[in-house]
Amino acid sequence: MLTRLWLAGLWRRRGGRLAAAVAGIAVAVALLASLGGFLAASKATMTTRAVQNVAVDWQALVQPGADPASALAAVRADPGTRAAVPVGYATTAGMTATSGGTTQTIGEGVALGIPANYRALFPGQLRTLTGAGTGVLLAQQTAANLHVGPGDRVRISRAGLGPVSLTVDGVVDLPQANSLFQTVGAPAGAQPTAPPDNVVLLPEAQWHTIFDPLGAVRPDLIHTQIHAVRSHALPADPAAAYTEVTGAAHHLEAQSSGAIVIGDNLGASLGAAREDAAYAQVLFLFLGLPGAVLAGLLTGAISASGAVRRRREQALLRLRGANSGQLVRLAAAEAASVGLIGAAAGLGVAALVGRLAFGSFGFGSTTTGSLLWSAGAAVAGLVIAALAVLVPAYRDLRTSTVTTARREVGRQRSPVWARYGLDLLLLAAGGLTVWATSRNGYQLVLAPEGVATISVSYWAFAGPALLWAGTGLLTWRLADLALGRGRRVVARSMTPLTGRRLAAPAAAMMGRRRAPLARSLVLLALAVGFAVSTATFNATYGAQAVADAQLTNGADVTVTEPPGGSVGAAAAAPIAQVPGVRRVEPLQHRFAYIGADLQDLYGVRPATITDTTALQDTYFKGGTARELMAKLAAQPDSILVSAETVKDYQLLPGALLRLRLPVPGSSALRTVPFHYIGIVSEFPTAPKDSFFVANASYIAAQTGNDAVGAFLVDTGGHDSAAVAARIRHVVGTSATVTDLQHTRSAVGSSLTAVDLAGLTRVELAFALVLAAAAGGLVLALGLAERRRTFAITTALGATSRQLRGLVTAEISVVTLGGLLAGAGMAWLISEILVSVLTGVFDPPPSFLTVPWGYVLGTLLATLAALALAAWNTVRLARRPPTSVLREL
Amino acid sequence: MTAGQSAGAVQVAPAAEESLVVCTSVSRTFGRGPLAVPAVRDVSVTVSPGMLVALTGPSGSGKSTLLHLMAGLETPSSGSVTWPGLGGSPTGRAGVVGLVFQGPSLVPALDVLENVTLPLLLAGVDGADAVRRAGAALERLNVHGLAAKLPEEISGGQAQRVAVARVLASRPQLILADEPTGQLDHETGAHVIEVLLQTAVELNAALVVTTHDPVVAERFPDQWRMADGRLVDGDRTC
Repeated sequence: MLTRLWLAGLWRRRGGRLAAAVAGIAVAVALLASLGGFLAASKATMTTRAVQNVAVDWQALVQPGADPASALAAVRADPGTRAAVPVGYATTAGMTATSGGTTQTIGEGVALGIPANYRALFPGQLRTLTGAGTGVLLAQQTAANLHVGPGDRVRISRAGLGPVSLTVDGVVDLPQANSLFQTVGAPAGAQPTAPPDNVVLLPEAQWHTIFDPLGAVRPDLIHTQIHAVRSHALPADPAAAYTEVTGAAHHLEAQSSGAIVIGDNLGASLGAAREDAAYAQVLFLFLGLPGAVLAGLLTGAISASGAVRRRREQALLRLRGANSGQLVRLAAAEAASVGLIGAAAGLGVAALVGRLAFGSFGFGSTTTGSLLWSAGAAVAGLVIAALAVLVPAYRDLRTSTVTTARREVGRQRSPVWARYGLDLLLLAAGGLTVWATSRNGYQLVLAPEGVATISVSYWAFAGPALLWAGTGLLTWRLADLALGRGRRVVARSMTPLTGRRLAAPAAAMMGRRRAPLARSLVLLALAVGFAVSTATFNATYGAQAVADAQLTNGADVTVTEPPGGSVGAAAAAPIAQVPGVRRVEPLQHRFAYIGADLQDLYGVRPATITDTTALQDTYFKGGTARELMAKLAAQPDSILVSAETVKDYQLLPGALLRLRLPVPGSSALRTVPFHYIGIVSEFPTAPKDSFFVANASYIAAQTGNDAVGAFLVDTGGHDSAAVAARIRHVVGTSATVTDLQHTRSAVGSSLTAVDLAGLTRVELAFALVLAAAAGGLVLALGLAERRRTFAITTALGATSRQLRGLVTAEISVVTLGGLLAGAGMAWLISEILVSVLTGVFDPPPSFLTVPWGYVLGTLLATLAALALAAWNTVRLARRPPTSVLREL
Repeated sequence: MTAGQSAGAVQVAPAAEESLVVCTSVSRTFGRGPLAVPAVRDVSVTVSPGMLVALTGPSGSGKSTLLHLMAGLETPSSGSVTWPGLGGSPTGRAGVVGLVFQGPSLVPALDVLENVTLPLLLAGVDGADAVRRAGAALERLNVHGLAAKLPEEISGGQAQRVAVARVLASRPQLILADEPTGQLDHETGAHVIEVLLQTAVELNAALVVTTHDPVVAERFPDQWRMADGRLVDGDRTC
């Protein structure tokens, strides 16, 4: 009965404050449920997405001496196999074709023998570009090298046997050539750097007719693979799916007694997906948890702003004979009502957010996943309610007397943590932890080669978490110092708002209320820091995803000439005429020997290369991108090499390098001298391993050949796919045209593919609400708690202007301090987030990308909330309510 | 110097040129409909400089509400309140009216001295002068030793004396005190009333004090009595 009366009274008389606490809990619950739902949905789709991208699930290599038919039967007999066919691989000695009066000869290549149903079983493996889809098919690059098309004759050389002539039926693209021509069983580092350029595909029977004789004389040039389609009924969690698939592959290998080695493309794709799933978890922890903690702190602050009143009411009840048990029960009932309503509201908001952002209430997650996350988030809401309402009430009950409960201000002492320097200790511990984590290169997700399980280094979270807490407490200490010992300075700085005479009492009031003011200031700083750092991380991530795609593709659109071609820089002119093209930059691509090592060599025009493609400073060592390009221009014989080359060949800056470059049209090599000036680790279109970057004019002059490897096309970032289509129309099939949009979706990990933008939208919306609430709500409640003070001041004859001055001064201190500290925190946390989460960036960013629009929006929303709080306080103070006057 | 009831037995006195407050047929009702509570009903009074009034009546008779109406803190539901001798409404004009409330009315976040200087500073008095006047007022009420204390560190009686000192320091033309001795012992209460009366006389200010204490009321030349929101013609001495 007492509990019911008490609750009814609370909601009737303190409805606003309780509603604010409910809102705080709702935000925390909604944030956790939204992000959790998103995480569950992401994980659930990662397996599907990973599986979708695999053209051939297994490539089982039949070992020399083993019977291909038995191997095929073994693969087909495996319970997870849906279909399996044999594919013949033969190494050709070369190919020749005569067209237009000239004869083209190309070197060693591969001839595949594919069964008739291969295209139906593996639709992602072949794409017909021109001509028929069956019969004798040439890979696009091969057709370009031989200058042939459907209907033309091609002669295929066989080692030790006579050549055979065939009529080309079609030209195809092999989108997954890397996996198709992998060295089955070899570790990742020992795989060929590029698939073969010269590829011909033949019907199975024809292949046997042509290459079975070769197998008799040169069995080393022939092998058979069993290509298999596996069942895709796999666990939704990519880690579990990976374990299942790789386990099945190992099991089959063991059963075949060494007759086959499996190239597990499905397992490799799932392996990458499980890393992404782990990173998604990491992102959830880094980006989601601080928001939920902040919402919890906000709820605590809302509850604390009514602490004086609560203590008074508690004291009143004690005077009337209420015992401790009854008081605890009342506080528990208040916490439960606030927690339950907040949790229900939060889940409702989460469902709405899911519907708006992802089109489904459960974020596309399974029912179980949604229910689990909803339950978890609701429990978190109840815990926050208990911590914010029940714990302080219980603590007051244990420590406060009826007399102390009547106090509103009290002599301010430094908090216990400040006396022991906890903030400084946290900052030091956080710094040390970040430093320790950085020593292993911030490897948060560990997936060792050959190990089925994946692990996440949760230690890495400790550093940012400690720094976050330390910075918050340090801000508190500084605010406490400024409002306490720095009272005179505060008074002087507030004179324009309060007037000269009222500055001192205003500063005195703030000094004696510095604990709640510091709390508001810290909350505002944390909220602003959270919003801006999250937005900055997301913007930087987005920018790097574009940089990654640009690095792979080279530019918005890239026109790649076939190797060995003779197209000069003049060929840029027709491309430049295509609508939508802003600039065209020719890029030479050669190969060069350093010692016995053959590496890619890129010839650039240093003065103009950056007009078309972005070169970030992180790609280089020994100078910034601009400085090194300037050096390449000033000293044409200078060269940038990889860090590995510097180490292998013990190079010092300025060292002379004699590279041997192939002479076109012959097998001769020409020695060209270069001087080493710096290190390059990434470059547009360049491979991941070692390569060189030098001055294009110098290479052309030294080799007498100005052939261009690729044209980098700048479209101004607009509609690269459409521009690429138009360029394709101009250049025909003689060159390969790729665009940024397609490359971005191709190189993006499944982490990108699961639409990190969705997470971003949810995250940033919540961050904005938290920042505005931390600013406006907390301050408004703090001011509302002092209605009596403002009523007294009004009764003493304060003018509206004077009241406004007093309120504005207080709000200004909190706003200015909170925003300044928040900006500092945002910068620190952004830097740390980007450093610690470096694993999700490829390449690592050289600078933070600040989303100024969002930052400005957050600032305006926060200022608007604060202004509203100030306006409402002054409005109420000018006409004190009768209830307040009656208390005087 | 007149008080009366317009609709009842007491006639309304014409407002004198120098009258500080003139309430004409003033009513104040809280709430609406069936829950409406009329606190003051159809009261007409005039307070002039030098007038010393004890406003008596049982609890809930409307004394505090009438005081708030005179101070401009409440708006009448009907009738009018004017302040011809004060140059208009005292709202937003510090030092014109001095108010002593029956409950704790010190600003919790200011110490005693700062509390007493606050209305002076609001009125535009220079800081040093304000401190000097506040110190003198505290001394007069025998609480100057509490200057550095916070309101929560002093007793209710001490706080009430500080509140009185705050009024004295600002030298108002009209002093309205709502049960100023309610929390004080007889001796201290008598001292506070004595100081209030002396100050009013010295400043030629009007003093209206609400009280339940007949001993306190006896010290005032004018005594008004309220009952059920009306000013009744009982101990009318005006």
